[in-house]
Amino acid sequence: MTAATLEPSSALDRRIDAIARERRTTRRSRLASLAVALALVLGTVYAIVIKDTDWARLTWQSVATSLARFAEFDTSALPGLVDPAIDTALMATLASFLGLFLALPVAWLGARNITPLGRASYVFGRGLMTLSRSVHEIVWALIFVSAVGLGVLAGILAMAVRSVGFISKVIAEAIEDVQPGPIEAIRAVGGTKFQILWYGIVPQVLPVVLGTVIFEWDINIRRSTIMGLVGAGGLGLVLFREMARSNYGGIATVLAAVLALIIVGEFVSHYARKAII
Amino acid sequence: MHAKPSSDAAVIDDVEVTTLLEDGERAVAGDALAPPRTLRWRKWKRDLVWAGLIGLVVWSIDRLDIPLDRLPGILGRMGETLMTRYFPPDIARITQRDYLGSVFETLEMAYLATVVGIVLAIPLAWFASANMSPSKRILYPLSRLAIMACRSVHEMIWTILAVSILGFGMLPGVLALTLFCVGFAGKLFAEAIEAIDQGPVDAMRATGANPLQTFVYAVLPQVRVAWTGTSIYTWDVVFRAATVVGFFGAGGMGWYLRESMQRIASQEVAAIILSIIIVVLIAELFSSWLRGRIARAIA
Repeated sequence: MTAATLEPSSALDRRIDAIARERRTTRRSRLASLAVALALVLGTVYAIVIKDTDWARLTWQSVATSLARFAEFDTSALPGLVDPAIDTALMATLASFLGLFLALPVAWLGARNITPLGRASYVFGRGLMTLSRSVHEIVWALIFVSAVGLGVLAGILAMAVRSVGFISKVIAEAIEDVQPGPIEAIRAVGGTKFQILWYGIVPQVLPVVLGTVIFEWDINIRRSTIMGLVGAGGLGLVLFREMARSNYGGIATVLAAVLALIIVGEFVSHYARKAII
Repeated sequence: MHAKPSSDAAVIDDVEVTTLLEDGERAVAGDALAPPRTLRWRKWKRDLVWAGLIGLVVWSIDRLDIPLDRLPGILGRMGETLMTRYFPPDIARITQRDYLGSVFETLEMAYLATVVGIVLAIPLAWFASANMSPSKRILYPLSRLAIMACRSVHEMIWTILAVSILGFGMLPGVLALTLFCVGFAGKLFAEAIEAIDQGPVDAMRATGANPLQTFVYAVLPQVRVAWTGTSIYTWDVVFRAATVVGFFGAGGMGWYLRESMQRIASQEVAAIILSIIIVVLIAELFSSWLRGRIARAIA
């Protein structure tokens, strides 16, 4: 064999070797991450199921008896749940509206193309969005109780503030994607900044905004069940009252009512969003 | 027929104007060239919707008996309470060994719940996807309902229920977070399956593959990337919930939050809330970093 035919084949060999080596390392790193994940599962199972759980007190019988207590469905309570259910829906509505109003200035700050003070206000707006989403509604509720006391107001404020992050994020992204045509047209005829915002941007993002608020309304119904903790009314308050009385049948009934309300809410939001878009 | 001419552009007879326009221009002009009666009707309808919404708000405020008089000066009052009662946060409390252990516990609960929840969510999402479900009549509606039930009950209610069945500790927390994870990831997983390209599926079916083989060889490779991203995001959301499940008797940082609140140790509460915000932010940054890295590695 001559050197001329030998060299290309060795180059080919090298390439084949390289590919094989890469495959081996990929497979090895994939196996390694799988092993780490599995080891972590075993570690957490040991910490939680074996070390932390008192199996002497927790037996199949005890679980079965506590489950059975929930099965005593308290149907007599159902008619009395209609009013609280309406309250819950209204609370979610108010919280979503308030969330929208609070979200508008945040979206204005956090939309790259219209933020007033450049990078500083953009980062500030985005930071507010992250803060709103990062703090759980329970924590927000506890914070607002310190300001306005126990009651509906604290619950609504907590849900509204928690909604701000998502609503304003979606609005800001919609604003960043607007068609520049109408804005340029308004600017060309000498429109002010506010006129650009009101006539150029708002009509373009309105469907997205309304769709998001309806979506958030749905979530706020779920959240309002937990606001009974801070004394906000509706099904959440009934639920916490039943829990304080250890009336398990009543708890199950209230939860069924919550589920029914959420199914109704999902239908409403589905059709409302269809009507808008 | 029309009202007396005015400067309003919409009052111009629409037939004449639209015949002067090309198709594209008419599409752009759209609304402005609709017949005036339609425009007036639309404006009236819009006013009606606004009036209805405002009426709804007023009625709700009245019905729920909301003390609006507490709203003015709320920021000032919050600031004052925070400064006098919650400031300075008791940093020493959150650097103690037992509390740092609870941060670790929170991580453990979130991790185990996410892993178990995702393992459960994969078959459920498969059954609950409109295009790939192996049994349209039975498994499809059942798994849809299961995912929806998991989603519709708030994670804290799951916690309360789990604690009432399993007692205090980390196990009920993991159970509640798992259910939450199934509802959250299951829905997103199913949506990813519904968005796949049908070609490979048809090819697999043409060779006589059974539903499981079709799922493994035609569906899984297509959703792998989306599912990986969703899983990491789910962990992030589950961790956020895990920081507070302790408030209702499960383990983790929430337990200490509740305990400090009951002793009205406001400065400890402030420090704990602060630490919750910080770890959640770190988790969120970590998850978005990891998602970005994986997306880049796969692309």
